[in-house]
Amino acid sequence: MKNAIGLRPSGWLVFIIFFAALLALVYLLAGPAIRVGMVYSLEKSVGSEVNIDKVSLQLAPLALRIHDLQITDAAKPSHNSLSFSQASAAIELWPALLGYYVVEELSIDGLQYGAQRAQEGAVYRQPGTPGDSIDLAQLLQVDLPDADELIARAQLQTPAKAEALKQLAQAEQQQLTTLKQQLPSKDSLAQYQQQVKALTDSKIENATDLAAKAEQLQQLKQALGEEKAKVEQVKQQLLQSKTALQQAVAELNAASKADYAKVQQLANLSDGGLAGISQILLGDVWGQRISQLQSLYLLVKPYLPEQLPQDSAGSATSAPKVVLPNRILPLPSQPYPDFWVKTARVNWLLGGGEGTLTLNDITAQHALINSATTFSLDVKQLPQLAAFNLSGDFAVLEQMVTNLSWQLEGLNLKPLSLGKGDTALDLAAGLLSSSGKLNLTDNQLSQQASLVLKAANFNSSGNKYLQQLASLLNQQTQIPLNISASGLISAPEVSVRSSLDKLLGDALLGEAKQKVAAYQSELAAKLNSQLQTGLGGQDDWAAMLTQQDGEVADISASIENMLNAKLADAKDQAKDKLKDKLLNKLGGGN
Amino acid sequence: MLTLLARILKVLNSQASPWQLGWAVALGLFAGILPFGLLSLLIVLLVCLLTINLSTFILVWGLTEGLMLLLADPLERLTWHYAQNEQLLALLANNEPLQLLHLHHTLTLGAFLLGLILLLPIAWLSQLLVTQYRERVMNSVQKWKLMQMLKASKLFTLYEKLQ
Repeated sequence: MKNAIGLRPSGWLVFIIFFAALLALVYLLAGPAIRVGMVYSLEKSVGSEVNIDKVSLQLAPLALRIHDLQITDAAKPSHNSLSFSQASAAIELWPALLGYYVVEELSIDGLQYGAQRAQEGAVYRQPGTPGDSIDLAQLLQVDLPDADELIARAQLQTPAKAEALKQLAQAEQQQLTTLKQQLPSKDSLAQYQQQVKALTDSKIENATDLAAKAEQLQQLKQALGEEKAKVEQVKQQLLQSKTALQQAVAELNAASKADYAKVQQLANLSDGGLAGISQILLGDVWGQRISQLQSLYLLVKPYLPEQLPQDSAGSATSAPKVVLPNRILPLPSQPYPDFWVKTARVNWLLGGGEGTLTLNDITAQHALINSATTFSLDVKQLPQLAAFNLSGDFAVLEQMVTNLSWQLEGLNLKPLSLGKGDTALDLAAGLLSSSGKLNLTDNQLSQQASLVLKAANFNSSGNKYLQQLASLLNQQTQIPLNISASGLISAPEVSVRSSLDKLLGDALLGEAKQKVAAYQSELAAKLNSQLQTGLGGQDDWAAMLTQQDGEVADISASIENMLNAKLADAKDQAKDKLKDKLLNKLGGGN
Repeated sequence: MLTLLARILKVLNSQASPWQLGWAVALGLFAGILPFGLLSLLIVLLVCLLTINLSTFILVWGLTEGLMLLLADPLERLTWHYAQNEQLLALLANNEPLQLLHLHHTLTLGAFLLGLILLLPIAWLSQLLVTQYRERVMNSVQKWKLMQMLKASKLFTLYEKLQ
């Protein structure tokens, strides 16, 4: 039996054979292995069949090529959700040896959305709700609201403020009742008075008696001091209650005024129409669609540096935190970003034509390359679209900043239906143009867009107001809309305005306009009533508080008198007695 | 499974010294917990150059790779948590050879440190177990009824073939 570990004579040979076998295996099997791995992870992610024809690895220069990738659309298995004919990525060797993925050039050719498959693909998991993804087709799928709903959307503040005032008054009343119980009663005050009087009226016989009475007086003073402190506390509480109630009343007044203004703006009867009708029609829808951009943020989140405030946008969701399997530690200085695609070109087949998407410097560590990721998409002369240009940049520095601008010309709209049932409005044809820009700083959104719908052809088989609306819209050469959104990406505040708002308001609401007017009067009456109730109660409270304040002041003065006057008398009496004694002694000596 | 058991028995009953087997187990474990890279190749080179039992090394490497499917995630998170040290990060940032070994990657760093810590104890414990097996168990195992049955079975034929 060999006992020690020594050198293996053929060691180098064994290693060289092992290494050569490894290289051969990598060269021969890396492609199929990557293919199997990609198919497995993509199918797991999308829940439907994924096909990749071939993956090949080239050693010099190091490059990966993917041929013919097809991802089945889980909602429509006869079509692909995404497919491309070829993708290639050339990776730089030295950074790769150091563990950084620097791709010199990435190109994707023949990218298509929704292409038909030769064979229907398998579906492993039914797709989620449409709200999970960005669906531009749903952007204009709006339900036209009725008058009551319009009013409900006004979000009046007065009832809430009136309720708050009521709650506050109840809470303050309870607190004051508790405190009032701690005040000295009339009986106990009389008792104090009696004790003080008995003490001061009594004769002081000698020095011992004087000391005992001074001690008693001191104890009484202490007890009265405690009562005084309680009285002070009640006075303080009364002051606070007054301030809080005054503030609540002021808020109620302000809310009432704001509600008047809002309803006035909503109904805008003096101008004969409804201002902001497009806001009411499209505001919520646009806000929901914009907030879906958050799903893009969640998608890239695992690749963002840990130092960024990532949780601000994602905190509302309960999505599990995704961690990469072998992360690079946050080194103070890194030679390369964790991943960096220097240039990427995507050839996109869409709608019978093609577009080119060019991206530069794709990474999540822009500070390391001192440059932002830039991208631009150019689409021209499609059968359904005259031109579309999208460009922007994206940088993760101290904040994550995305800028985006777009210009869309002559998009032929397919027939679509807005609303349903009685409130259905069909758009048979139309030509849409739009331009706008968007800025996203971390999760704060700021967006401006203008949309113009030309040659619109609306039909409605619904109620007469909608028919009237369709007729009015068809008479317009163009329908302009200005849309702005700002605030948190998950809940943006959206403003939609159109120069046709008044016209649309007239047509859409018709008789409903009168309902709004009636409601406005009713609301005004209700608000007045609520305000009066609140204020009336406040008057009672003010009187009660003043009364309480007076009572407390009386008690306080009474205690103060007792403390000062009786203490002074006791001292004087002691002085007098000493003086008499002294005079008697002096007189006796004469 | 039978092949695996036969291989283990073959190695345990072979002429290889307990230390050769002990180091093979320890280095196989080390290579197994590391994500494949330059460090793994260095370990393979060491195993090739020294008279360490190759088949034990390969066997333990393979088994540990399987085990790491479960343990990689917690090890990665643990390393990320404890590696946020300025001096360590500065050392890794300024040292290209360390980056060439991928020690700035969480899992590689964590696995490397764990492997280093376990290397000597595992080597010592493995040689001790092999010694104890050969001194106390091997002879009596041969006499067990179960062993007699195994000898008559497919396993023994396989074992004989491997001999």
